[in-house]
Amino acid sequence: MNTHKRLKKTVLFLSLAIVSILVNLPIITMIINSLKSNTEILTSSSLLPKQLTFENYQHLHTKTMFWTQMGNSFIVTFFGTLLSIVIAAFAGYAISRFRSKVLTGFSRILLLLQMFPIILALIPLFIMFRNLGLINTHFTVILLYTTLHLPFSIWMYKGYFDAIPTELEDAASIDGCTGLQTFFRIILPISSPGIAAVAIFSFLFSWNEYLIANVFLRDEQLMTIPVGIQLFMQQYGTDWGSLTAAATLTMVPVFVFFLFVQKYFIAGSAAGAVKG
Amino acid sequence: MPQSKTEKISMSTSIKPRRKKINWLPYQFLLPTVILLLLINLYPFITGLIYSIREGSLIQLEDFVGLDNYIKLLQMPEFWNALQFSFLFGLFGVAGSYLIGLILAVLLNKDVWGKGFFRVALLVPWIIPSVVSIVGWRWMIGDQHGLVNQLIGFLGMDPVNFLGTENGAIFSVILIKIWRSFPFMMVTILASLQTINTDLYEAAKIDGAGRWLSFRYITLPSIKMISIICCILMTIWCFNDFDTIWLLTQGGPVNATENLIILAYKYTFTKSDVGIGSAVSIISLIILMILATIMLKFQEKD
Repeated sequence: MNTHKRLKKTVLFLSLAIVSILVNLPIITMIINSLKSNTEILTSSSLLPKQLTFENYQHLHTKTMFWTQMGNSFIVTFFGTLLSIVIAAFAGYAISRFRSKVLTGFSRILLLLQMFPIILALIPLFIMFRNLGLINTHFTVILLYTTLHLPFSIWMYKGYFDAIPTELEDAASIDGCTGLQTFFRIILPISSPGIAAVAIFSFLFSWNEYLIANVFLRDEQLMTIPVGIQLFMQQYGTDWGSLTAAATLTMVPVFVFFLFVQKYFIAGSAAGAVKG
Repeated sequence: MPQSKTEKISMSTSIKPRRKKINWLPYQFLLPTVILLLLINLYPFITGLIYSIREGSLIQLEDFVGLDNYIKLLQMPEFWNALQFSFLFGLFGVAGSYLIGLILAVLLNKDVWGKGFFRVALLVPWIIPSVVSIVGWRWMIGDQHGLVNQLIGFLGMDPVNFLGTENGAIFSVILIKIWRSFPFMMVTILASLQTINTDLYEAAKIDGAGRWLSFRYITLPSIKMISIICCILMTIWCFNDFDTIWLLTQGGPVNATENLIILAYKYTFTKSDVGIGSAVSIISLIILMILATIMLKFQEKD
């Protein structure tokens, strides 16, 4: 019985290990390819490199706008995330704690907005921002990222605030705190896991976003990384070396960020989905 | 006596207006959100509706043409093709990612070594940028040294041109969408599985229920609600997907992998026909609204 159980456990472990490797194979091959020379990528059919080389990374570093674009991605992501977590916190608190027909209707609208096709917003916004001379600015992209991620962030905050007992606020109001003070001094300090979860999702959304950045950032100097990488696929007739090296480096911030906050991420994604 | 009477009166007068007073705090808190949503969602929605009944390019909008754009669309084979592909993409995307997610969630819910590691390793496709996944996959299914074609060659078959043929491209796009989506299903289903009381399984075991019966009558009903919500969310995400398709095939070859979003994008930003582009977006929105309504109905039932 015991050996049977142990065998079962081993089989389960091995199958999960194989599945994990298979699932990550496109990423693994990509990382390995980034360490091969361009000629080896195109001629050799073996997976492992015959000659380890960092020339792709060197090329990226010296001959392309990679770091500029990485910087752009950081700017857009940082401000998009910051604005989103601040503005959504207020709204999430409002629909979590106060009751009125208007507020119920509003939270309904927020749910529906998650289905809003971005392309529908992009067409008029492109024309509007162009007339305002705001194409090719990070401001526009930050504004769009913040807003488009708001409904999701607000619902996540609502979930966290709902779980905080109202007795805390009652006590605060007896002690003479105004609503605003209660929010800043009592609620926000104990909601840091909620803030972290919202921040992770905003970060990933902004860092990974392609469509909006592609429409609004046409200048190579201003492009974010996802748009910049795509240029390697077209302009240079698919330069696999630089392409795989750039893609590998783009994942690094995601992984670093993710490993730090993994716990919140998994809890948050579950909460977000359950709440709708 | 009279003193207490006046006290009562003053109390009641002081309470009454206070009750009528609206608490403005929540509305102040909502103000920034409302301003942004009006600017970035409502304004484009209304303008988009108006554009969809006008002619013109991105540079210069022309006359109102009534429903002409919609009529033109309904007569275009390209539109019906895109509509059909949107549903095909959604159906297989949802079914595939749900099945894989469910199986992996059930496995991860068991007592297994390295559970935390596997959970993270299997999440990777979901958290990395779409561009990065497409770079990885483009090489995997490439025609020369792609791993998939090497395997096919190893099995003694001719290499497949995945992105050059219509069926190959449809298959690839759906496969990669499933790959990018299953971790979401896995994580949410796993979270829901962990809330099931294990006593139920013990009781079922004592009653002589096998593994399948336990799964059928305990596990499935417990995750039914979350499954419905996840599937409807995923349908909406698949419907709205732009990155996977655009970065892999740009809708080709010959419109084979063109969904409504790609169609709207092409008409607006490549062909500069804002009227048709907006009309396609509005139709997408209507379809998505129907899906969203279904989702809310299911949620209310719970």
